[in-house]
Parts: sequence; structure tokens; C-alpha cells
Amino acid sequence: MAFSGFEGFEKRLEFHFLNDDPNPTINHQLGLRKLEFESIQQILQAVQCTVVSAVGNSYFDAYVLSESSLFVYPTKIIIKTCGTTQLLKSIIPLIYFSNNHLNLTLSSVSYTRGSFIFPNSQPFPHSSFNEEVSYLENTIPSNLCYKKASIMPSKSSSHSWHVFTATQNPHHDHDHIPYELPYTMEICMTELDPVLAGKFFRKPGDEKSGHSAGKEMTELTGINKINKEAFICDFAFDPCGYSMNGMDGGLYSTIHVTPEDGYSYASFECVGSVNNDDDDAIVHVLRKVVQIFRPGTMSVSITTCSEYNNEVWRKVASALEPLGLKCRSCAMDQFPALGSVVFQTFTPLRRKNASK
Amino acid sequence: MGGWFSSQPLTESENSRVKIIHSLARWQLDFNEFKESQTLVVIDFSATWCGPCRFMEPILDAMSNEYTDVEFIKIDVDELSDVAKDLNVQAMPTFVLLKKGKEVDRVIGAKKDELQNKIREHRA
Repeated sequence: MAFSGFEGFEKRLEFHFLNDDPNPTINHQLGLRKLEFESIQQILQAVQCTVVSAVGNSYFDAYVLSESSLFVYPTKIIIKTCGTTQLLKSIIPLIYFSNNHLNLTLSSVSYTRGSFIFPNSQPFPHSSFNEEVSYLENTIPSNLCYKKASIMPSKSSSHSWHVFTATQNPHHDHDHIPYELPYTMEICMTELDPVLAGKFFRKPGDEKSGHSAGKEMTELTGINKINKEAFICDFAFDPCGYSMNGMDGGLYSTIHVTPEDGYSYASFECVGSVNNDDDDAIVHVLRKVVQIFRPGTMSVSITTCSEYNNEVWRKVASALEPLGLKCRSCAMDQFPALGSVVFQTFTPLRRKNASK
Repeated sequence: MGGWFSSQPLTESENSRVKIIHSLARWQLDFNEFKESQTLVVIDFSATWCGPCRFMEPILDAMSNEYTDVEFIKIDVDELSDVAKDLNVQAMPTFVLLKKGKEVDRVIGAKKDELQNKIREHRA
């Protein structure tokens, strides 16, 4: 019987809603943030995860879950879960509560994930991308008629990037400030340096809460230096594992670590916008993340508007090359409502043994 | 902090010892009392538009009934924005622990275990 460890690779759903009431009341401006906590719990129950820690600011609410993270903005929700959670089962209850309780209409949904380390351990509807796409097409409302599903390849068949999007308006119109180029960056790392991964194990016999042990890990590993402006909500799982959500104004970031040797995994995700010379933020973040995890393999997936995608892959590769990580593949594709997705994979320049 | 107003004021729930302060005058009176007393005071800074605050509400109510030697206060950051600003509240919920009018600790975020540990630590 094949061994199956904890699956670190996450499934990610992003929902955008329209807030098109001509006379918005104060409540309506709050949109999804007005969701009753009982409704959120029901949505999470469908996915089999629970809230472990949470914090909010004037822009959004961030929840650390037993199996990853949830971000709630007025018109946008992002849920990211790992392990064997059935993330797609959140769609039906979420649409129900947002339509019936809040009068909000879903305008687009996107689903992304890497390749599972243990694909045979995934339950319905996640046993294959085909199954996921079928389930998505059967559950999303029919007004989201512009759809695309694609598996973006790398040189290795066990490292692909899966994307499904559906929208009612194919033009990239998510609310963003003109002249700013927003991006979402999703980094997936495996084969973490064992000594560095060891920092994400609880010390046996310590009586701290998961919250204060998490805070210690954040400081010990230097995660707090990735974005010094961000407020960090962190948690350390027993006996090992770590999650954090960062809040910097309206920008979120999130890190999840499965440190066990043999199937170690860490992810880093953030959003930002590229104004004129602010590209250094991406470079800085990539370098800090590599320093903290020293992964054996790393994939970087960036979603942004088409005008920027040519520069972005160069920026990512040039940030990582000096750290000894060579770009092994680069794939680019366009998706309705998302814009462009660039998917690159990296491995160290000199590998002792080629594995997988 | 954001310019949103609370859609309806925080209301006290039936089974809870958590006292809600709505006015600056009340806050000033109470704060003067705190300075004279050895009792641990836990202030929950919340906002009606913040999901994590709603998540913590029943938990705080239960804690107020368990730790009867501790004073539990709730303040809406939109109603008493000056108090929130003075105490440097930026993310919600923020729990500020006071003894004799001075801050001895704080918990930022809906962290049940962390808050419980700190209440136990400081209530003596």
C-alpha cells in the first residue's frame, strides 16, 4: 500500500461579486463582510475546516483555518485549503448565502492549484482536474458563461499549474485603481532544507498556545522581515506545521508550512501592485522566501494584466538566479477576467541527484 | 481606521457580564475607577463590520462568566474612535488588558487560547 503523507499543495478559489445596488446602504458597502459568522461556519463545514485565528482591519477580514486561509473583502472572497479538504464544496453554500442574505451576484470565479504530491489520496471531486472542472461547470451559475480550463506544463509531469476561470464579463474589470498593475503571486516549494524546516516543529512539552508558539516561529525564521509593514496573524500546529496571514492595508499575504521530511512543503502567496519602480517588492519577497526555506523545487505563478506579463517572468528569473535557482520552464496563458498567468519552475543549479 | 459607521449599536447579550461602553463620559468615569482598583480589566475593541469580532463574541461572553473576578468591557471603535486611537488599536478585535489603569498586555486578533492564557496570567 502506498504511503501517503499530509498534502501541502493547496486548492484555491477566488470569488468576485457585483455590488450593483443603485442606492447602496452602509450595509451594502460592507458586502461580504456582513456575512453572519454562522454562515461562514457552514461554508467551512462543507470543506471540513475550522477557524483557528482571525483578525480584521478596515479593508478585509483574514481567517487562519485548520487547513489554510480565508480572506473576506466587501466584494471578493479567497479560500485556500490543503490536505484532503473538498474545497469545491464551498461554492454552493457561499452562493446561497451571498444571494439570499446579502443580495450579491457572483460575477466571476477562479480555481487554481499545483500538482498534488499524493493525488490518489484526494477525495471527490478532486481526484483529477477533469473531475474538478466537471464539478465546477455543474455548480457555478449559468451567467458565468465565459470559461476556460487549462493545465500549464513544466518540464516535469508531476509539476503543473491547473487553472479554471469562469466569468460573466470577459474583460479584465476587477476593480483596481488605474495606472496600478495589480498582481497575485503564488509560490509553491517542496524539498525544504531539513534544518530550516525543523524550525516549524513545536518543542515537546512547551505549554504555549498555538498563537504564541506561532509568533515565536515567525520571529525565529525571519518571516516577519518579508514585509515589515504587515500585521501578522500566525499559528503553530501540534506537533508541527505553521500558518500565517499578513495584513498590510488592503493587501494580504499568507504562508503555510508542512515541514515533515519526505513530503515537506511551503507556500507563500501575496497580492501587490506594480507602480513604476515598485518592482523591487517582488524581488525582495522572492529572495526572502528562498532564504527562509531553501527549497529543492520552487514554482512561481503570477496572475496579472497582459501588459506586464513579459517583464514579470524576467523579473522573477533574475531575482532567483543569483540565489542558485535556475528557471527550468516558463509557461504563459491568458484567461477571461484573470488576465495573464505566468507559471515558472525552478530547481537548484547543481542537483546532487535528479529526483522525480 | 475606515469611515464606516456601525449599522446598529452593540447590544448586551443576556448571559454575559460584558459591559458595553457607548460614551466618552462613561469611559472617563470607568477609567478613573480602574486606576484605583487591583481588578484586571479586559477591553474588547470591536467593529460591527469585522467578521473576526463576531467570531469572538460568544467566546468573550463565556469567559466573562467564567472569570468573575475580571472586569470585561466592550468598545465599538466607530463609537469611541478617540479611545481606540489613544490605545493604538489598528486591527480588530484587539483585547487590551489593564491593571490599575495601566496596560499590562494585549492580544490582537480572535485568539481564544492566547486570551485565556493571558487572563489567567494577569488576574492574580
